Amino acid sequence: MKELNPHCYSLFLATSLLLPSALAQDSSLSNPSISAVLDGYYQNTDRPLAERQAGFGLGETELALSANIDELFFGKLTTVIESHDGESEFTLEEAFIQTTALPAGFGIRAGRFLSDIGYLNNQHLHTDAFTARPAVYRAFLGGHYFDDGIRLNYLAPTDLYWSMGFEAFKGESMKAIDEHNERDFKDTGIYTLHTKIGGDIGISSSWQLGLNYLRNENGRLSPFEEEEDEHDLDVHQTHDEHSHSASYTGENTYGIDFVFKWAPKGNYKYNHLAISGEFFKVTDFVADDEHEENHDEHQNDSLAINEKDYHQGWYLSSVYQFSPNWSAGLRIGKIDTQSLHDAHFESQQLKETELSIAWHSSHFSTVRLQYTHQSTNNFDNNDAANFDSNVVTLQYVMSLGAHNAHQF
Amino acid sequence: MRINSKFKFTWNGFKINKQQMRPEKVRLIHIRMTKAMCISFAFLFSQFTYAELNIFTCEPEYAALAKELAPQAKIYSATTALQDPHLVQARPSLIAKMRRADLVICAGADLEVGWLPMLQMKSANAKVRSTDKGLFFATEHIDTLDKLTQVDRSMGDVHGLGNPHLHFDPQRLLKVAQALTVKLINIDEDNASEYRQGLKSFQQRWQTSISHWQSLAEKLDGKKVIAYHSSFRYLFNWLGIEQIADLEPKPGLPPTSRHLAKLLKRATQGDIGAIIVASYQDERGANWLAERARLPILVLPMSVGGNENSTDLFELYHSVISLLNSSLASSPSLDQAQQVGAK
Repeated sequence: MKELNPHCYSLFLATSLLLPSALAQDSSLSNPSISAVLDGYYQNTDRPLAERQAGFGLGETELALSANIDELFFGKLTTVIESHDGESEFTLEEAFIQTTALPAGFGIRAGRFLSDIGYLNNQHLHTDAFTARPAVYRAFLGGHYFDDGIRLNYLAPTDLYWSMGFEAFKGESMKAIDEHNERDFKDTGIYTLHTKIGGDIGISSSWQLGLNYLRNENGRLSPFEEEEDEHDLDVHQTHDEHSHSASYTGENTYGIDFVFKWAPKGNYKYNHLAISGEFFKVTDFVADDEHEENHDEHQNDSLAINEKDYHQGWYLSSVYQFSPNWSAGLRIGKIDTQSLHDAHFESQQLKETELSIAWHSSHFSTVRLQYTHQSTNNFDNNDAANFDSNVVTLQYVMSLGAHNAHQF
Repeated sequence: MRINSKFKFTWNGFKINKQQMRPEKVRLIHIRMTKAMCISFAFLFSQFTYAELNIFTCEPEYAALAKELAPQAKIYSATTALQDPHLVQARPSLIAKMRRADLVICAGADLEVGWLPMLQMKSANAKVRSTDKGLFFATEHIDTLDKLTQVDRSMGDVHGLGNPHLHFDPQRLLKVAQALTVKLINIDEDNASEYRQGLKSFQQRWQTSISHWQSLAEKLDGKKVIAYHSSFRYLFNWLGIEQIADLEPKPGLPPTSRHLAKLLKRATQGDIGAIIVASYQDERGANWLAERARLPILVLPMSVGGNENSTDLFELYHSVISLLNSSLASSPSLDQAQQVGAK
């Protein structure tokens, strides 16, 4: 991920060479759909935990290839190239197979894919109405959580939409910070359980509600060892952003999400409204080790100070499309996390209020201007001064190639 | 029906209980519990042993067609005539409906490319994933108009497979009805005779109606209109109406003021009879142009349910031709316009 793997790179080149010839044909069952997403921006300043840096830059440049493999399987490959500090990072975001012919509403997906946890997580970044994921996603899921693993999905044969899923993942990007690389992490770190229900209200409105649980076997902090480590630990946290790692982990994460969409008479062409919100709570992050007795005092102290033994965060978003060419969004969100300093946990907050206006020349191109007001309280201590409270981002996101179907 | 056998089974079980349980109260509770269990069982199993064919259609015209051919089936349309079928949300209710479908009928030719694949992926219903089984694309059974050999996005949201809005061509729709009957028989052989009967009846009434409609629409031949998108391409092709210009600057893009100004210039030539908009399309651009060019606006039902009269396919055709007649039949044709100009 961090290095440019030559094999992956040649694969990418091969797929890009395929592009012109495949574009001329229509994608069908036999021809793979090939699509690319171009994302570029200018941002006046940095944001905590975010991938976009100040100045001109590229967001996630995506190249995706998907097709039915045969009667039983569907496959998809999504590669992402990001530029950070003058270096190109090549990431394989999706490389999965999905069963298409299992009976009774079951489905299995295996390989690398986006977890179904939450509302936004399984959606691709380029479909978002804002330039960055909400702080709660950046803090707890590394922006968007994709990993190597397997998913079992079941859709109930009911009139009310009701899906259930179980996932198991390697959990590499969700590991707690391990300063000395000597911690014995579990090979399968993440298990998730999620269920979604949804339906229509009349002809104009639709809704969906989700409940999520994520178990992170490697989520607890590593045992606290020496005082001098704490500074390093903090630095590590803030420098980890670009590897899509979660910045705050815990053993148990609980989440609830909802989305409500409305369009006049259910006609989405001209006007529509989408309101969504999510809440996540991450608990049990304090190191749980054999030295517990020695540190008992420490931890009790630290917890007593702020009385919070969990991280939590939420966002609420509302996006309205005025016309096929214009849409605007308002999003507010907050995270409330505990950070380890001098063997004490200190409470810190990040609050974001964001306003975005987007112009769509067609269904496939978007130019977005976004203003974000961010206020931090004690956030990652030393860095706090670095964050300007007013962020302006000008971004374009455009897709070419196959017209990919969007999720609700 | 299997539901009944479930009832019987549980009632037998209840009889044994009755002999064993003496006190009245306990028995009453048991009766209630058993009843409740029966009802919940019946509810649960009704989900799996539904005798009717579950049909999911992408557009209302195919729901109406399915109703002609398979009146017994349980039919659900994903969209109404007031919704643009290009832009539909792959919403939970549609996934749940497709999960239980035995047959999915869509226009195809990439009309539903933005949402149908997502529904198929999420509904985990192998029965309706491919056209070998319970998936039916109408456009695959006819020759579409305006096929393109070269497709480029700078041309707008166009698709190489041709215009998918075929349901306003009565002959093509009849071909689709025939192909759909074959599909229905393929997936539900037990009711083959019913489907054949349905087609026979539909075909008869449809043929009669076609000649009736054609005589009704005689005066529409050669009329010129401005319309929104290529929604009525097949209707115009059938009735000999000429779409001089499109309110959309490019397919899929909403009218722009620059484009409308161009249309206004064209409209002053005096040969255009009306501006035609489909029931799911925004009328603002048309209103702007109509006011300045002094042209009538005609909102035609895009499909069954698009206006009060369009209750089935026959009424839809009737309504559309009546509406066209009401404002176009008396409008000047090109010859008349030239004569007026000459005078």
